[in-house]
Amino acid sequence: MTLLEVTGLSKSYGKQRSVDNISFVIEAGQCVALLGPNGAGKTTTLRMLAGLLPPSAGQISFNGSLPGTDYRKELGYLPQSPAMYRWMSGLEYVVFAAKLSGIPSREAAKVSAAALERVGLAAAGRRRIGGYSGGMKQRLGLAQALVHRPKLLLLDEPVSALDPIGRREVMELLREIRGETTVIFSTHVLHDAEEICDNVILMNQGTIAVQGELSELRQQYSLPVIRLSVETGSAAAGWLESLALKPFIQASQISGGKAVFNVADVALARRAILQEAVGLNIPLLHFEAGSSTLEDLFMKVVGS
Amino acid sequence: MRKFWTLYSKEMLESLRSYRLVWIPVVFIILGIMQPLTTYYLPDILKASGDMPPGMLEGYEMPGAAAVMAQALGQYGTIGMLVLALAAMNSLAGERSSGSAELLMVKPIAPAVIIFAKWAAHLTVLFIALGLGAAAAGYYTVQLMGSLSVSDCLAAAGLYSLWLLSAVSLTLLFSAFMRGPAAAFLALLSAAGMSLLYSLLPSDFDWLPAALPDLSAGQLTEGSVAWFGPVLSAVLLILACIAGASMLMGRNKLPD
Ligand SMILES: Nc1ncnc2c1ncn2[C@@H]1O[C@H](COP(=O)(O)OP(=O)(O)OP(=O)(O)O)[C@@H](O)[C@H]1O
Ligand SMILES: [Mg+2]
Repeated sequence: MTLLEVTGLSKSYGKQRSVDNISFVIEAGQCVALLGPNGAGKTTTLRMLAGLLPPSAGQISFNGSLPGTDYRKELGYLPQSPAMYRWMSGLEYVVFAAKLSGIPSREAAKVSAAALERVGLAAAGRRRIGGYSGGMKQRLGLAQALVHRPKLLLLDEPVSALDPIGRREVMELLREIRGETTVIFSTHVLHDAEEICDNVILMNQGTIAVQGELSELRQQYSLPVIRLSVETGSAAAGWLESLALKPFIQASQISGGKAVFNVADVALARRAILQEAVGLNIPLLHFEAGSSTLEDLFMKVVGS
Repeated sequence: MRKFWTLYSKEMLESLRSYRLVWIPVVFIILGIMQPLTTYYLPDILKASGDMPPGMLEGYEMPGAAAVMAQALGQYGTIGMLVLALAAMNSLAGERSSGSAELLMVKPIAPAVIIFAKWAAHLTVLFIALGLGAAAAGYYTVQLMGSLSVSDCLAAAGLYSLWLLSAVSLTLLFSAFMRGPAAAFLALLSAAGMSLLYSLLPSDFDWLPAALPDLSAGQLTEGSVAWFGPVLSAVLLILACIAGASMLMGRNKLPD
């Protein structure tokens, strides 16, 4: 079922087109990473989806309704740098957010406590937000975005500002959350996207460079490459040199027991190499076939 | 309506936690009791300061209770208004620049409800401050000078609060699209501009909200005044400010 349909969405600031005619469809239950370097237009796109910025052109249709219908009730939103009232306690803030989303007072208290528990802030709930660490604030931000069980969760760089530990915590949470609702989250780190999402929209300079299912993209953009490494100081080094001369290998790079072979047919090359390795009793350390080069694609898109 | 209460309680909680709900009434109480006290003790103060030309105090006549009460309320026109404008200047500008407005505006609420809740919270603080201040002023005036008509005092305080509320509403309007200090400055400037127009050409501009302080004093000294014009224009001005702020807030919700 289609949850969100975006057609020809654009946003210009004066002459600059921050978001330039992008279209995509998001199915209910998907987790989509909005991937792109700084200034790609991720925040601008998410703000338009959240109804905070009027688009210069284009349409957003939520859950099959007419474009222009107010769907903020079904939305959870976490901005890039969430500013919550420092003088409130964490629990007070989540209750406040829950009530503004239309949950009656008594229920709001209940679901807010549950949401805090959920993000691991139950113990800190009565403390003032002013005294929270960056990771705690981000988790509180998630709690307020989740508390009313939104159909669509928009998260703007939820882990970028965090240290490795905070990042780990929030990624774990996201992994849990994505099973419950539809999530769009922006990031400039491919690895984050791969870790929790199955779909990506790769943006650069306001346009969508590539979009689709991660596994498909990986196949589509994977060059037929075989990487392998062997124990150094053995006869295996000579074997690598001999492999380079095989007809199924088009190009090779060999150095210090490591080799990268460009091949015409991965399946064929893989079978031949592995058979030889077994036959010659080669001490293989590492073998990788048809390796993903999404990283390369990302770098290419970003670099251009 | 429920969302209005949620927002209003949040504003009041903030007033309390930032001690605005304490220090503004304290300022108003101090301003209020200064007038009767200094008036009453003026001769003593002057005498104590020594080198007075003889006979200077002979002409001094203690003003009546109503006049002193009117002067006490008059104190709120300058420092009182400044304090209120400073307290209100960041209520929208601050939310916008800090980014908390962004989180507020993705919730399914009309901007008008947010503005109205803020306005109502400022109104509450104003009422508490002016109420306590006027009560304290009235108490000392009655103790030192003589009796006052309670209903006249209430009417006078009401008229005065409408003038202060106009300034607060203007601050709210300007802070919907400007930075806090600029908003307070412009609001005070507009209030001063109206006062100036009224004082230069009182007969042409006696319908302006700026006529309210005079009306408030007149209510105390004379007992009845033609309040309709200024009250109507003040109410219209306040409504326009709320409507304008709601419109602007709907547009400027992101930190700039
Ligand atoms: N209010 C604004 N006025 C003018 N230009 C803007 C405004 N907001 C964003 N832009 C421009 O739009 C472009 C996209 O910005 P955006 O914030 O969407 O990027 P982003 O992908 O979120 O980047 P980051 O990873 O740094 O958060 C940038 O070039 C930025 O300068
Ligand atoms: Mg951004």
